[in-house]
Amino acid sequence: MIRLQSVCKLFISGRGHVQALSEISFMAENGQGVILVGRSGSGKTTLLNCIGTLELPDSGAIYYNGTDICRLSLRRRTLFRRQEMGFVFQAGNLLPWLTVAENLQFPLELNGIRGKAQRGRIEELLATFGLTGYEKALPVELSGGESQRIAFARAIAHEPAILLADEPTASLDSSTGKQLVELMVSLCQTKGTTLFIATHDQELLAMADTVITLKDGKMEQRI
Amino acid sequence: MRFTFLLKIAALTLWRSWRASVVLLFMVISAVAALVFLSALAVGTNDAMIRNSTGLFSGQIAGTGIQELEAHRLQIPGVKQVLVRRQQEILLGTGESLESVVLMGVDPAGEKEATAYWKKTLAGTYPASGEEKIFVSQDTAKRLKLAIGDTVNLLNLKGLPLKTLTIAGIYRTGISHLDQGLAFCPAQALPEGATDLSVAVFLQADTLLESIVTQYRQMLPLASITAWTEFMPDLKQLIDLDAICMAIVITLVFAIVSVGISCTFLIFTLKNLREHGIMKAMGVLPGDTALLLMTQIGLLTVFAAAIGTLAGFLTVALFSQRGIDISAFTSHNQYFSVSGILYPRLTGPALLTPPLVAILFGLAAAIWPTIYIIRKNPADILRSV
Repeated sequence: MIRLQSVCKLFISGRGHVQALSEISFMAENGQGVILVGRSGSGKTTLLNCIGTLELPDSGAIYYNGTDICRLSLRRRTLFRRQEMGFVFQAGNLLPWLTVAENLQFPLELNGIRGKAQRGRIEELLATFGLTGYEKALPVELSGGESQRIAFARAIAHEPAILLADEPTASLDSSTGKQLVELMVSLCQTKGTTLFIATHDQELLAMADTVITLKDGKMEQRI
Repeated sequence: MRFTFLLKIAALTLWRSWRASVVLLFMVISAVAALVFLSALAVGTNDAMIRNSTGLFSGQIAGTGIQELEAHRLQIPGVKQVLVRRQQEILLGTGESLESVVLMGVDPAGEKEATAYWKKTLAGTYPASGEEKIFVSQDTAKRLKLAIGDTVNLLNLKGLPLKTLTIAGIYRTGISHLDQGLAFCPAQALPEGATDLSVAVFLQADTLLESIVTQYRQMLPLASITAWTEFMPDLKQLIDLDAICMAIVITLVFAIVSVGISCTFLIFTLKNLREHGIMKAMGVLPGDTALLLMTQIGLLTVFAAAIGTLAGFLTVALFSQRGIDISAFTSHNQYFSVSGILYPRLTGPALLTPPLVAILFGLAAAIWPTIYIIRKNPADILRSV
């Protein structure tokens, strides 16, 4: 279970102070699908980054199974992210100098999954995402849809407890994007992975257990 | 992260970003190759100065206070030749004037084999063994108005005539202590009573000077044995100065190259900034990021240093056979009185210092980009790229 309590984040730039997140509080059970919606600049990405410990809130707390993950040391926070989190970004997710198989190998290596188990997992992921035979392809040789599928595959390779996806369908056509998110939601439900998706895409809302609408860093609505 | 996996990632990053890698490789290869050659050239220059200075007349080791029978014991392994020279201070006289010289009684065949001063003959010939002839410097010949075939009287310091010798040859070395107050004749042509004996020892190539000197000093504790480093302190200092200059050049070149590497590597790292952000997001620890970047630059510089060393080695091999003729710039230099040809020579330090310094400076150059990446928050990286 993940619980956010009065999370605030302020950015200071040359143009002044921007309240990116203001008093955000909600809870998501394990295996739940949460979609964050809102206009550009509403704070979706910042909220995902805070949940994913990529950056720390200025105040408030984020509890994962009772532990405030914002209070962990840098090392423990990184290891927590390594073991419990999977990330899918808008585009350019893959490490360009690694092949598809090597990209999938990366989180497995980090989490100590090696040898036969590693090879088996890579084959399973490629089959699940319909990319068998692409093992040796470099990211530059893949289409946008194929790249995003590999990015999803990599994000769930080590079976994380939380999957965070920031505008994962933004660079895809609507039908490809929808198919991909459906697959992702179904896989997360099967494995009990809590899924957070930040999106503009209204078509995806139906797939969520919870929809949180953000406006100017504030939680406007929760459905 | 497993080091083998990290190594694989580092190698693949370099291999698949080959354009940037080639630029970095080229910088290090050219610097290492140039410095290996330069180091070998410095060694070759020092060799040439030593060879010229000792090979002209003195040998690498000089000995005095030695008995004739003892002199033959000096021919030990590592020694190419031992020349025994008798000497007597006399007056050379013609009808009009007198000149005080030290007359050296030598073995002409041995001198021709080991030394080069006889090659500095301006007129006539170097006297042969058994001839009652004398070899005088141009200065002496001028002062006494002597020419080839003239006779000259040998007198003791009290002015009493000892014998007469014929002028066989006139020489000029360009080195004042050889061109003034010195004359040569075959040993048996010396006047009776010449008892002062000195030896000049010429070593084989690659023989350690200190080792032979130590052995001689143990063999002949009463004799005075001096190495060229002692009787030519100016040359010793010049060679030490060369070593210091070379160290400064190597340091400066690599300091400049390392700034270049650092800037290029920073650009290379910034080009991959998003990927570093993704890796950090995936849970790569700061230590692993540092190790990854250090491994990348380490692989690059080790590879480049190896290629550069090989390139330098091959260049040295080429020029060590052919030599580099700098005679046009050394004709008035006493340290190049015999030959102005340099033969670059690789020694262990000359071969290994440039690549080791390259690796060291390369790793130092990676510190800045590494700190830059480590300090960056993954969210900031992903937001900015």
